[in-house]
Amino acid sequence: MLGEFEYLLITAASGLGEKAYGAAIREEIANATGRKCSLGALYTTLDRLETKGLLKTWMGEATAQRGGRAKRMVRVTAKGAQAAEAFYDAVTRVSRGAAWVVDRAGRASS
Amino acid sequence: MNLASPLLNAATHLLECDEREAVLGDLTEAGESAWRGLLDVFGLIVRRQAMLWKTWQPWAAAFGLALPASFILMGFSVGVSSSYITGAGLWLLVSHLFLLIAWSWTGGFVVGSLSRRTLWASIAASCLPCLFCLARFRGSSLPRFCLLIFLAPAIVGICRGLQMTRIKLRSAMVLAVSVSVLMMAAGSSWTLEWILIWPAWYLVVEARRAT
Repeated sequence: MLGEFEYLLITAASGLGEKAYGAAIREEIANATGRKCSLGALYTTLDRLETKGLLKTWMGEATAQRGGRAKRMVRVTAKGAQAAEAFYDAVTRVSRGAAWVVDRAGRASS
Repeated sequence: MNLASPLLNAATHLLECDEREAVLGDLTEAGESAWRGLLDVFGLIVRRQAMLWKTWQPWAAAFGLALPASFILMGFSVGVSSSYITGAGLWLLVSHLFLLIAWSWTGGFVVGSLSRRTLWASIAASCLPCLFCLARFRGSSLPRFCLLIFLAPAIVGICRGLQMTRIKLRSAMVLAVSVSVLMMAAGSSWTLEWILIWPAWYLVVEARRAT
């Protein structure tokens, strides 16, 4: 089972598709959660997920916007997508009876 | 002048080449201040080090080998120097010198191969007893550097250990057997000295595993 941050990272990378790399994933997570994501958390989690075979990373091209530095590109593997789906399903199932979910469902139907 | 930029640049040299490139690029793209970037990079370095210490190798290299072995080898270095000065038998001097070099080299090799990325900790663990003994050494006729004779073969061993993880099985076997036999022949009764033999036999086990 994935951890919360691992799920956020895989989902952000998956959403970004071909444009998934360190800075873009960081920004995506910060926008979604409203919290800054540290470089340390990002890169050590990328390594861990790559070791587990849930992600693949490689060095991409350098751009002027980055001061001529290369990007660490990220792609979610089929195994990674499966693990994220399993996490999402588990969170959805366990949340069914929660007050905030019931309230939100009620507001949506009325 | 902003002090953080050169500090940030220096700190990123502690990262691997590709990671340094990606991290500096990400910081430039995010437009973060140099101080904030420096904090981020330190955070990453600390996390990287913490992950390395989750395995047994850095612990064994620093506290199972570097720390006790340098303490024992300093004592043995003084012993060899005394044998030389007092004119002990040639056989005794040669065998002790061989043992000192073999223990130091194999110890250094194993430290280098086990703790490539935590070598700083093994060196620090080795420096502690060295500084302690150097400060308290009141040798009658021996100069202080006699304590550190073991350092030369140990440093050569570390350099080799950083380049390769194992030596050939035959060489490892010859080394381990000759050190063991010599220790018995020289009548090593001091139990602590037997701690120094594990790196030689560890090299045999590693070489055997590879074949």
